[in-house]
Amino acid sequence: MLDNTLDSEATRPVLWNISQSWLLYVMFAASLAIAGYGLYRRVMAWRRGQPAARFDQPWPRLKMLLTHAIGQRRTVRERYAAFFHTFLYTGFIVLFIATMVVMADHRFGLPIMRGAFYLWFQSLIVDIFGALVVAGTAIAFVRRLVHRPRKLVLNDESLRILGLILLMALTGFLLEGWRIAATADPWGVWSPFGYLVARISSLALTAKSMELAHVITWWFHSVLVFGFIAWVPYTKLLHILTAPLNIYTARLAPSGASLKPLDLDRLAETGEPMGVRTAAQLTWKDLLDLDACTECGRCTDVCPANTVGKSLSPRDLILDLRDLVRAPQAGEPAGITSTVTAAAPDSLWQCTTCGACMEACPVFIEQMPKIVDLRRYLVMEESDFPETMQQAVTSLETRGHPFRGTQSTRLDWAEGLPVKTIGEALDAEVLLWVGCGGALIERNQKVVRATAQLLAAAGVNFAILGREEKCTGDPARRIGNEFLFEMLARENVETLNRHAVKTIVTSCPHCFNTLRHEYPQFGGSFEVYHHSEYLAKLVSEGRLASATPLDQTVTFHDPCYLGRHNGVFDAPRQLVQISSRRMVEMERRRENGFCCGGGGGMSFVDEPAGQRVNQERAREALKTGAEVVAVGCPFCMTMLEDGINARRGERDVRVMDVAELLWESVGKKA
Amino acid sequence: MIAADIISKRTVTSTASATAQKQKIKVNIVVCLKQILDPEIPSRDFRVDSEKMEAQRGGASLVTNIFCENALETALQFREKFGGRITALIFAPAGGEDSLRKALAMKADAAVHVINDGAAHPDPLAVARVLAAAVRRLGNIDLVMVGRESGDWGVGQTGGLMAEELGIPSVSFVDRLEKQERGLLLHRQTDQGWENVEAQTPLVVTITNDDQNLPRIPKTRDIMLSSRQPIIRWSLEDLAADDAGIDVAEIRAGGGYYRVVDLAIPTKEIVCEMVAGETLEERVDQLADRIMSVVRSL
Repeated sequence: MLDNTLDSEATRPVLWNISQSWLLYVMFAASLAIAGYGLYRRVMAWRRGQPAARFDQPWPRLKMLLTHAIGQRRTVRERYAAFFHTFLYTGFIVLFIATMVVMADHRFGLPIMRGAFYLWFQSLIVDIFGALVVAGTAIAFVRRLVHRPRKLVLNDESLRILGLILLMALTGFLLEGWRIAATADPWGVWSPFGYLVARISSLALTAKSMELAHVITWWFHSVLVFGFIAWVPYTKLLHILTAPLNIYTARLAPSGASLKPLDLDRLAETGEPMGVRTAAQLTWKDLLDLDACTECGRCTDVCPANTVGKSLSPRDLILDLRDLVRAPQAGEPAGITSTVTAAAPDSLWQCTTCGACMEACPVFIEQMPKIVDLRRYLVMEESDFPETMQQAVTSLETRGHPFRGTQSTRLDWAEGLPVKTIGEALDAEVLLWVGCGGALIERNQKVVRATAQLLAAAGVNFAILGREEKCTGDPARRIGNEFLFEMLARENVETLNRHAVKTIVTSCPHCFNTLRHEYPQFGGSFEVYHHSEYLAKLVSEGRLASATPLDQTVTFHDPCYLGRHNGVFDAPRQLVQISSRRMVEMERRRENGFCCGGGGGMSFVDEPAGQRVNQERAREALKTGAEVVAVGCPFCMTMLEDGINARRGERDVRVMDVAELLWESVGKKA
Repeated sequence: MIAADIISKRTVTSTASATAQKQKIKVNIVVCLKQILDPEIPSRDFRVDSEKMEAQRGGASLVTNIFCENALETALQFREKFGGRITALIFAPAGGEDSLRKALAMKADAAVHVINDGAAHPDPLAVARVLAAAVRRLGNIDLVMVGRESGDWGVGQTGGLMAEELGIPSVSFVDRLEKQERGLLLHRQTDQGWENVEAQTPLVVTITNDDQNLPRIPKTRDIMLSSRQPIIRWSLEDLAADDAGIDVAEIRAGGGYYRVVDLAIPTKEIVCEMVAGETLEERVDQLADRIMSVVRSL
């Protein structure tokens, strides 16, 4: 049956057994009109948003589109989705192409649905992909009805969508089978699943009854297909259109640069809200984000706050915002922020701004900046935020550091070291930015000491700002006090420029991120290195050498603001590897690293017992069997030291900064 | 908070209360502020200048004295409940404006700055005279609220002296107050518990801290707007012009009411001694003897 003579003539009749086929076009037009109207409504909603520059740099954007929309690189990270979504997604594409082929051949007279192409593609491949659609829906059904993972929204809409897709695919196979059987299609076996239907049907039905069943099912199938098209913009199926658009317009800069500045003077002048109060303050990209959500729940699944049992769920926040924005009054007069916080008053204050949600999102929704936008409104317009954060903010205002009650000064760490301030060392090539966490928390003073001693040992001519240094403003910005952040940023930029600083090394990833990504907005452009990067550079240049590697097993905890937000994963690992004999990795690492719990102002908040992010991370670190947990951030240091001490039991496990490890292995003690 | 041990009711009557009662206007409040060195600097950063008899500024910021902020917060809460008008008043050098701006950001209605161009730390009587003169100049004040004491010198006399200067009664250590049909009901802390005091305006009240009157965090918008609000500035001469009670020269000199004769940071000395002895018993005996000798020497 597969012989070549038949191949060249191979095809099938189009619209076999169907009369009044013009009705098809009426239905098509109707479904397009309904879908078009729904889409028009969405597009008009986006157009009402505030401006956002997201159509620059077409080439990198196209690459994003190819990698993540067409290539679905993030989608397939998850075991289930790798199968079910790929089956549905590729199945839809192949079946769509097949429909185009039929249209080209039948309507436009292009004789392409013939011969080998007909047999291999239009019959065999299309049949297989149709079967994959069935398999995909089956997997999705099992997941939703049997496994019921916590991260999914288990609502009826999803089941209706899956049911519709399954019904479309199954009726398609019935139609194909009955046509093959009733027309005794000589190439029927090229459509193996249709052929199977044909063989089974032949046992039970006559050709006549198959013809009748065919014509009824054909119209039913058409109603389903056109109904599906019409339904797309009104359900989460909208992501078929919005996901690629959202990926094309995604943020191209590292996620550390994801918070947008506000023109506070203008807002004070006009009376418009500072931060987001209603939908009117969202950008079109924010609004598109809300419409791109597929409700997959991965953001919530990786959220550290949610993982330890807190109420924050980035996915629910996005869906709540979506529903509020779509409501006729868009949250007026209460405002969407008040509505969201009324529903879950603590949630917004549980975010560590670690960015895991954004990294997990297959369609590149930016959850974290929205949380900060909502915080901005609550902090700046309502003064409604946790008291312990208020204390940090007040301390930033009066003392330039967030640690109320610290008994340390900015210079204590350097006691006995020949460290110069920039005023004393005008020729210094590098400024060591100590950071409040490094200077004012006793444990971290050892880290800065080790870093300074390593720089000196490598012959680096460096200086510090000393008492002139102030908080970079990172906690203020992430808590939502943009005004205070701007004041601190301007002051620091002024100080740094006055001293003509070019190169900055800092052991705090939060300072690193702010100095690197946020200060250029205030006229401060510096070459900024995290100490791990700079020390790794010194090692590779032969200016530092590890003499006695530590004979202990070390694991490394990625600081969010170094790793995920800035893509620095290897430098600290290089330091760990040369400073110790054995290195082990934690399960959640690099891009998928799990926050220590200290970012976003959360280190100033007392977490309820049993819901502490640092203990969850400590548990994971201890599971590796490591004797040393290496960190690269003063906040991670305090959070993990607390967590490890609470959980290590009899085990002797230390938390050390990578600089301390290196300093020990270079042969000195800090 | 434990329940009050003693709740007594006393009535403080002012001779001048009749006018305020008759007019039935909204309560006119003045809250006096003082700026002090940030009390939360690390203790090793705190140094005193024993020549000038004052704390060295160093790198510390100036902040509004906490009890003054409690007073402002109490006034704001009173206004929210019963209406009124709040004027923030400070007697300070130019930098004192920051405290007034913050008061405006917290939503005080007006701000008055009496510029201190004399001694850095005038004594409480000099301050009370200046503040009282400013209150008189403002006119029609029903209620003067001041912090119970300042966080730097902690003398705690300005409120009482002001009342004396103004010739009106004062109630101290108040943490809450309410308007009643006739006058005010003041809730005050005492060593034994709480007291409720009924009083007529005009009145000076010194405010102490409580869970209820933690100063609010001003809204950013209000902070930004406060920088554009007007501040009334008076010199000592302005006050002296229509007030015979003000001796400008004396106030510039810091007043003559008291004098600081010595100022020093208490030193703590830790000496480590090892107790000698062959056996544990010997060492314990030695230790006991040593403790007894130290105790006797105190």
